[in-house]
Amino acid sequence: MTDLTLAVALPLLAAFVRPLFNAGALRWLGQLIGPVVLALVTVILFAHWSTFSEPFAIALGGFAPPLGIAFYVDRMALLFALAVPLVTLLLWPGDDGADGARRQSLTLLLAASLTGLALSGDLFNLYVFYELAAVASYGLVAGNGSSAGYVAAFRYLMISALGSVVGLLGIGLVYFKTGTLNLAELATLGNELADPQGLAAFAMLAIGFGVKAEMFPVNGWVPEVYGAASRRVAALLAGLASKLAVLVIVRILLLMFPSDEARQLLLVLGILGVVSGELAAYQARDMARMLGWSSIGQLGIVFIAFSLPGEAGLVAGVAAALHHLVVKSALFVLAGPWGGAIDRLRGAATVSALGAGLFVLFALSLLGLPPLPGFWSKFLVIGGLADAGTALHYLGMAAVLTGTVIEGAYLLRVITTLYAPPAGSPAPPRQRGSDLLTAGLFGIALLAAAVMIDPLWQTLDALAVSGVDTAAYQQTVLAAQEAHP
Amino acid sequence: MTGSLDFLLLLSVVGVPLAALLAPSVVGRWLLVLLYVVQLVELALLGSGDGARSAVSFSLLGHSVGWQLDALGWFFAMITVAAAGFSAAYAAGEWGTLNARAGLSLRWLYVGLQVNVFAMLVLLAAGDMVALFIGWELTSWAGLLLMLLAGGEAIAAARRYIVYAIAGGMMVLGGLLMTLAAAGSLQFDAVAAAIPTVGTSALWAITLLFVLGFSVKMATMPFHLWQAPAYAFSPAPASAFLGAISARMGLFAIALVAIKLIGIVQLDRLYLYFDALNLRNLLAWVAVFTAILPTFVAMKQNDARLLLGWHGVGQGGYMLLGLVMADSLGSAGGLLHVFNHATYQAILLMAVFAVIHRTGTADLNRLGGLVARMPLSFLAMLIGIIGLAGLPPMNGFVSKWMIYRALILEGQPLLFVATVISTLGTVLSVYKLLHNTFLGQLRLEHETVKEAPWSMTIPMLVLCVVVFVTGVAPGLVLEYVAAAQQALGLAPVAFILGGIDSPAGTLDMIWVTAILLAGFGIGAVLFYLMGGRSRRVHQLDNYAGGHFLTADVRYQYSDNFYAGLMHRIRPWYRGSFAWAEEALVSTFGAIATAARGFFEQANPAHWVLVGTTLITTWVMWHALV
Amino acid sequence: MHWSELAIELTLMPLVAFVVGLAMVLMMRKIAARLQRRVGPPLLQPLYDIVKLYGKRTQTSHGMLHEIGIVMAVGGYVAAETLLPVPGMNGIAEKGGMITLLYLTMIPSLGLALGVGQCANPNGSIGISRALTAMLAYDIPLVIVIAGVAIHFGTTNLVDVIAQQQAGGIATWGAVQMPLLAIAGLFALQGMLGKQPFEIYVAPAEIATGPMVEMGGKFLGGLFVMQCFQLYTASVLYVTLFLGGGENWIAFLAKAFAVLVIPMSIAFLFPRYRTEDMITMLWKWPVVLGLIGLAFVGS
Repeated sequence: MTDLTLAVALPLLAAFVRPLFNAGALRWLGQLIGPVVLALVTVILFAHWSTFSEPFAIALGGFAPPLGIAFYVDRMALLFALAVPLVTLLLWPGDDGADGARRQSLTLLLAASLTGLALSGDLFNLYVFYELAAVASYGLVAGNGSSAGYVAAFRYLMISALGSVVGLLGIGLVYFKTGTLNLAELATLGNELADPQGLAAFAMLAIGFGVKAEMFPVNGWVPEVYGAASRRVAALLAGLASKLAVLVIVRILLLMFPSDEARQLLLVLGILGVVSGELAAYQARDMARMLGWSSIGQLGIVFIAFSLPGEAGLVAGVAAALHHLVVKSALFVLAGPWGGAIDRLRGAATVSALGAGLFVLFALSLLGLPPLPGFWSKFLVIGGLADAGTALHYLGMAAVLTGTVIEGAYLLRVITTLYAPPAGSPAPPRQRGSDLLTAGLFGIALLAAAVMIDPLWQTLDALAVSGVDTAAYQQTVLAAQEAHP
Repeated sequence: MTGSLDFLLLLSVVGVPLAALLAPSVVGRWLLVLLYVVQLVELALLGSGDGARSAVSFSLLGHSVGWQLDALGWFFAMITVAAAGFSAAYAAGEWGTLNARAGLSLRWLYVGLQVNVFAMLVLLAAGDMVALFIGWELTSWAGLLLMLLAGGEAIAAARRYIVYAIAGGMMVLGGLLMTLAAAGSLQFDAVAAAIPTVGTSALWAITLLFVLGFSVKMATMPFHLWQAPAYAFSPAPASAFLGAISARMGLFAIALVAIKLIGIVQLDRLYLYFDALNLRNLLAWVAVFTAILPTFVAMKQNDARLLLGWHGVGQGGYMLLGLVMADSLGSAGGLLHVFNHATYQAILLMAVFAVIHRTGTADLNRLGGLVARMPLSFLAMLIGIIGLAGLPPMNGFVSKWMIYRALILEGQPLLFVATVISTLGTVLSVYKLLHNTFLGQLRLEHETVKEAPWSMTIPMLVLCVVVFVTGVAPGLVLEYVAAAQQALGLAPVAFILGGIDSPAGTLDMIWVTAILLAGFGIGAVLFYLMGGRSRRVHQLDNYAGGHFLTADVRYQYSDNFYAGLMHRIRPWYRGSFAWAEEALVSTFGAIATAARGFFEQANPAHWVLVGTTLITTWVMWHALV
Repeated sequence: MHWSELAIELTLMPLVAFVVGLAMVLMMRKIAARLQRRVGPPLLQPLYDIVKLYGKRTQTSHGMLHEIGIVMAVGGYVAAETLLPVPGMNGIAEKGGMITLLYLTMIPSLGLALGVGQCANPNGSIGISRALTAMLAYDIPLVIVIAGVAIHFGTTNLVDVIAQQQAGGIATWGAVQMPLLAIAGLFALQGMLGKQPFEIYVAPAEIATGPMVEMGGKFLGGLFVMQCFQLYTASVLYVTLFLGGGENWIAFLAKAFAVLVIPMSIAFLFPRYRTEDMITMLWKWPVVLGLIGLAFVGS
């Protein structure tokens, strides 16, 4: 089953090959490399997904886990890995100008590293892929060449670099305490990390990986970057990259720190994220920033969901994360032509009825209007909180519910602006066909999910059962160790 | 032939694209009216009380979600579909044509109307709590569709509405999931069985979340601010429909959850200070204040639509009050009032919009004397206000009488007095409405005004007949009310065709009306057959204060109509709730600005270190404890 | 009961009310005269007045609603009288009760208000606005009283209320059992009759008799008839609630006239309140008394 490594290796390779075909007779080949590779990876991953029966481990190059690079493949990893090439393909940047090649190869780099994040079974590898993803995203953010882009990228760089230092410190602490960085081995040593030092290590890891996951309080880069970067990049970062970072934190939480304190920490940070993000979005007057803040709030909900113990938490978290992945990516795509001041959009529905309709659809799902999928993800999150039933969980419930009200206030402001009579000149901005197509595909996915909500839930449930089964994880990885002595 | 719930829901779904297709043409609009007739017939065939079950059910996330229309839902559904049909007919003719020319999208209007009907059917036929919530949210958003149509000031009102509505919806969602946590299921039976075993604090939380959430749609205090403007500024048929029935979905849900599932006995279990202040009494008082304060706010309005909108809020208080009394008479009164209010409120709004249609304004200081110009609209409004004020022989009297009687029999004199205060306020307010619109001096520019077209007057007048007939023979409606009571698990009211038969005081409206009409007959004989002949003078031939008055001198007494009363009670209008709402919004805005500031500071990277430090401190604190 | 008996009762009750009402008007004018050291009108003067008004040559109508208003004003009271039991005749009192009666008596006022509104005279409109304000003022103590009585007797049926009082004798009369409510009721009665100090809506010097300003001839005659009914209804209702109703016609009439003597004597001794002062007055003392009385009833 080594072909899974191709899912990481191929895009990585393509990223370095892509600039070679930037000009000349083979230019068309350059254009094709990215989409073809991503499609191929999607097919590979999908083949695995459809034939998946048991979790398995891969030791790269035949080096056994304590030393070598280990992949660990279960349903959850596959699901997120599958999302990477698929969404990247949907948000694939067109080659419009000199920067096209660079942007495409950076995007491929990002895709490779994100897939790596999903599949890695080793703390150090996770860190490496994470840094790789960070580097790719700095480039993408600064890539549009505007001064705002550079400023935003620098801001992002500062936070991310500092976060990485803290994260590395956490990794160091873990290694110092246990002598290993393999997640499977760490999972067997659960007790060794169940002390204040271990908790501190978790906190540091959470902060380190939390930067990309838009976790409070290390998300100061979000509005600037999403406001300045091209919308497709923003969609990639907000929709996709943040989810993979969340996945890493969840993995760490489940395998290494199954303690109440760690969950509590995640819950508190999630609550603060929901509250601060939604509040700031309420005051936003700029579309992209508003979506950025809203995304902070939504990720807060994801954190709250994952902080819930047991399968219920995992199902809720994955559901919330996937829903946000689809909806926020689509909204950022729509915000392409509709970026900038919201007031500019007066009457935009008259020139782009389909775009406005899609915006309403995604907004309604975000607000949790049944029977759209957003409702069910909210249903699962709040249901889990009500079940857990401590004061802190009720606080979380209040935060999520209140956050939705705030969200309703600002999203409806946008919607009423879209449908208001046009102000005259300048004419309201029109949506581009390519963006409408992308957003439309996301919309179809959303509606399909609404129709197939029960099978989806059953899949997620099965996924969660294997996800929380840390024993299986250990056995599989350590069995792989036996197989490659 | 019997009806099927699935067929009804299917009709209602198919109606949405049909509405989009047919609404632009006059013939199409009448066909849509026919569609409502068909839906109403289908609903009538379903019949009240035998619990028509939908064959469609889903298993969603481990919950079985299905639909089943019981007698309570059927009662509300009949009103809903009929209200939509009358509204659709009202707009089908000239109103629609002229307003479409003025830029209103009839497509959206009729689609909105049908979407509302569908959403409400989904809510009313809910067979379990998931279905209930789905219906609830759909209804909330469907209402928004109608409110947004008019543009202008309606947009601001609609935005305010949706914030309230989402807040209510989220409270309900919270209550729903706490119920799930407590009962382990969201089926009605299972929830009802589990409630008695739930601890007091959890029951408090569940009940409050549900009741507060649902009462947002009812606009009971303190959530009353949004409703009047949101309903008033919608286009005419939307306003009539929303005003007639939309807010009552909240009452339906409260009845279903608080009375049927949680049970009135359980509400008594929840008390703040011994038994005197239990949740049920608390609700009764909230209901009474909702009946009084908005009524007196209505009295001050100068826009006829807003005046009626505020009365709609106030009348909701009566219904809730009757319902929480939960004895056979009071709850029947509350439910009957839903029907009665829907009928006369629709008439009143239609009459006001007919005036707007002809004169272009609803400003009570810019109208007057239209009685001779628009006699049918006047008649409709007169019958409507008699209903709204709750005077015999119109139907509003019967339901209010039942509520009064229940309050007296339950030994609640203070609540009784309070409700009568609200009724008196209503009388004052509706006379002002009628006087300032149709009585007094006719304005010069209205001298050539014609009666509204028949497509608008016929729906009003048919509803007038309904208001009168169900006032004289309330037994016609009470039959279904009694069935709805049984569906709620309450003792059904002992009714006769003419009203209520009870040892502690009977009401037989047939007799009362007959006597009243006979009295009028005697009065007419005395007036017309005896004495000298009277000579009619022209409407503009007036004389006052020693001068002949000509039409170009404005002397209509309209502004600050109850000057003496206002002199006394104006200081009591503190606008406290509006102030509190504004304060909340601005405080919230300030906090939000601070939150935004957090993200916009120059060096957010510091927060990595701050966060790390804070978390490390927290860890160390944990280690020490 | 045989239908013919009922028909006779239903015919007789308004008639009795009218005749007694005429006598009450006479009494009122006599009391006024005595207080002002005049002789006062002869016995049939009220009747002459009505006949005169009906017979006038100038009868100005401002439209159909103006006329219908008068029809409703008279007709509403004719109907209301059949809900008010008198000795030996219950009419349809058992089919209504005190709440129905209370609301039915608003119909004539509504009719009057409609008629006046049609006249398009600002003084008339102001008069109606004041009359409705006055109603809001006096009805609050009145409903407190009615709630107290209904709870005390456990019924809203006036026939039962009378029967209970007559069965128990004077000691069970409403006035004895509920003295505070009886006093509050007197205040309300004063307001209901619209006499000084509460005649804000007539106020001849301010708004030229308000609602009556456009009424001449049989229009005013109709209002005169309405006043007879109004006096009768108010006083008989009070007798029914507090003084045990009428054991026989003599006791009934004695009580009914006696009740009216009090407000009428007061009326001509006081000047008129301003509107807002009337509200303050009626919302203060009678309401406080009524609420205390209600507390005793409840306990």
